Amino acid sequence: MIPLLQTLLDGLVLGGVYAFAAVGFSLIFGVLGVVNLTHGVFVVLGAYAALLLHEVVGLDPILGLPLVMAALFALGYLYQRTLIAAAVERASLVASLLVTFGVALMARNLLQIVASPDVRSIATAYSFAGLSLGPLRIDLVRAAGLLTSLVLLFGLALLLNRTAFGRAIRATAQQPVGAALSGVNVRHVHGLTFGLGGAFAGASGAVIGMMLPFTPSSEAAWTLNAFVVVTLGGVGSPQGALLGGLLLGVIATLTAQYVGPAFQNAAMFLVLVLMLLLRPQGLLGHAFAASR
Amino acid sequence: MTTRILATLVFLAVLAAAPAFVPPFEVRVLSLFCFWGALSLAWNILGGFAGYWSFGHTVFVGIGAFVPGVIVAKLFDGGGAELMPLLVLVGGLVSAAFAGIIAWPLLRLRGIYFAIAMLGVAQVTGELSAAIEWIGGGVGLSLPDAVPAALAPEAFFHYIFVGLLALTIGAAAWVRGARFGQGLLAIREDEDTARMLAVPTEGYKIAALVLSAFLTGLLGATYGFSLGYITTDSVFRTDFSLNMIVHALLGGIGTIAGPLLGAAVMVVLTQVVLGEMLNLHLFATGALVVAMVLLAPQGFLGLWRRKPRAQREPGP
Amino acid sequence: MTAPVLEIRGLTKRFRGLVALDHVDFTVPEGTICGLIGPNGAGKSTMFNLVTGFLPPSEGEIRFRGTPVTGWSPQQAGRSGVARAFQIARPFPGLTVRQNVRIGALFGRSGPRDVEAATDTALALLGIEDLADRPAEGLTVGHLRRLEVARALAARPVLLLADEPCAGLNPAETDAMIAALRRIRDGGVTIWLVEHDMRAVMGLCDRILVISAGRAIAEGTPGEVAANPAVIAAYLGSEEQEAHGA
Repeated sequence: MIPLLQTLLDGLVLGGVYAFAAVGFSLIFGVLGVVNLTHGVFVVLGAYAALLLHEVVGLDPILGLPLVMAALFALGYLYQRTLIAAAVERASLVASLLVTFGVALMARNLLQIVASPDVRSIATAYSFAGLSLGPLRIDLVRAAGLLTSLVLLFGLALLLNRTAFGRAIRATAQQPVGAALSGVNVRHVHGLTFGLGGAFAGASGAVIGMMLPFTPSSEAAWTLNAFVVVTLGGVGSPQGALLGGLLLGVIATLTAQYVGPAFQNAAMFLVLVLMLLLRPQGLLGHAFAASR
Repeated sequence: MTTRILATLVFLAVLAAAPAFVPPFEVRVLSLFCFWGALSLAWNILGGFAGYWSFGHTVFVGIGAFVPGVIVAKLFDGGGAELMPLLVLVGGLVSAAFAGIIAWPLLRLRGIYFAIAMLGVAQVTGELSAAIEWIGGGVGLSLPDAVPAALAPEAFFHYIFVGLLALTIGAAAWVRGARFGQGLLAIREDEDTARMLAVPTEGYKIAALVLSAFLTGLLGATYGFSLGYITTDSVFRTDFSLNMIVHALLGGIGTIAGPLLGAAVMVVLTQVVLGEMLNLHLFATGALVVAMVLLAPQGFLGLWRRKPRAQREPGP
Repeated sequence: MTAPVLEIRGLTKRFRGLVALDHVDFTVPEGTICGLIGPNGAGKSTMFNLVTGFLPPSEGEIRFRGTPVTGWSPQQAGRSGVARAFQIARPFPGLTVRQNVRIGALFGRSGPRDVEAATDTALALLGIEDLADRPAEGLTVGHLRRLEVARALAARPVLLLADEPCAGLNPAETDAMIAALRRIRDGGVTIWLVEHDMRAVMGLCDRILVISAGRAIAEGTPGEVAANPAVIAAYLGSEEQEAHGA
């Protein structure tokens, strides 16, 4: 019984981080309709940025989050205003799939050259400490990561639902023409949304860097991960990402424990295909679909 | 029509004769052209003709390469060179069988969902090839040297690749001219209407995927032998998947000459222009895709605008 | 007396609480042109969706040439000889007119036999031979309608379901379409058509089924139907609703 509970707990902890890692992708997909295959690159960039800050300045990844998020926000904003917008305008949303795929390859290659393809991880002072919850155990690092994830997810939900900025984003997602007519600068909002998505991706990367090993080619796995989370939980909302992430985390740990660690991704992918066949809009549906 | 057939045959004959009057480096470049041209044509049967863009076709390259590798390791203890033709065939057949298994659930998906699902298939299969120790992709597998004593290695593999290119061109041309091909075109243009016109859409899609996978598997198996030593990372490669799409797009999706033209351009670019900078191949491919999407004239991308088609809504 | 081409008995279709068709009966005799009319939203397209196998019925039976075929697939329907020309023309945009029609012929009742002949006949019957090599994309509404019917006709069907073939056509084009439909019937094809253009319906049809809100409210010859008070009420009623912005 205890091993099962521990596995479930590990799954929920991992799942919280998965949700955090996917919410940026979800937002971009929900608001812009763009499937951002460069998402994983932003995650990995966040990990490397946090690694750099930790090694050069000794900054703890969680403390360094504001910096990482700011940098990746800017990158995301620029990326969308230049390449993505151009691709969507020139051809179609499907073209953005190819462009983001191409950029992902370029970025991965550059990262491999600049940062080396070796597997890295961020070792903090408390990397090996643990917390006990009765008979169950959590790594301190993972607990910190989970807490950060939940706080930031909650913050995003507040942003989307309680601020003027959030209203502008939601309006643009539901009715771009109407929003534009009401004075919303749709292009700017798209850029800001993408920046927000990138910032969250990068932030999750910094957290992930503390918990799991990463290399430049991890980006593909994190992009797919995000896609699965969104397919499971629903598009465009932090709640959907949280639900999908938690589900996915539990599936991952249960598979690792009872089938084998090698089959984690295979199990997750199987779940993805099942969901796509049965309910492609995810359990909570498309957050902005009401008026579409 | 017959002029086209004649021209193609002459073209293939000239290609095949290359080792006789061209130095080894150029022969390898030509082999690479045959490899990529055939791969892209095979992808195009599903992607260009039927309109189902697979973003994970490298999975069939990988399976094609790994099957002979595993057989050789488990049954022949590293030998089995004389069985190469059979092993290549088996590689293709297993790829085809795999395609047949995943076809039913995956071809239910359309547009980006299909693309990403295939990406997922490739990712997971690649991972499993390394993670499952019995397969041994992480460590790697050896393939025996099957080159006959009388031939130089690059010439041997060149002949095989030319042969596979001829096979693929033949297959694609046959599909195009047959009722099957017309059905695939109808599926690409408007799958729901095609279904209403009694096109056997499900069966045709599966057949296209299986055929494409078979040809890709043959190419992957040969590629494995030409490398001599394969690992997960050397045959399950995301850029392989992207390359196939890029060649077809560059030269013209839905045609036969198109993917070949695209492959030719790309091979020249990467081998001749970028040749020395081997570790920038991913970058170059990615950059080319981005450039193509942003700079290519509207008409060339016009085909994309019709994808994905909204599904016909049944309702009152 | 040969079996009627199409018989529906008690045909019902429900969508999550909405009853789109409610126990409708009708017979389409061989060699006739029959009509299906009714106010907007009456369930006419649903009827065609059920007959062609695109949707399964919730209740009821469909018989094609005497054989029960309820719940068949669109491919089975096509191969048996039921073809449909859609209300919203959906040509294959990247193909030429001829290629479009040819697809209809290739997968129709006779399969790959005599495909060129069937294609040419269909093009000629609808008067679009001159457009054969033009891309289907960018055709005028009138030409698209004709392409739609030609593509269905090329399948050499026994029964042609024509969904508003005259929609969006000017009077001259409507006349041409009416004449074409008569020629098609004379060539041995039974037709069941949905139409709002009353001139076409009254002029062409031997028998008409009138439905409103999913129910059959009248059936008979054009004369009988036009004089039926329930029919008049249904149409006037819907006109009133439109006038009041309902």
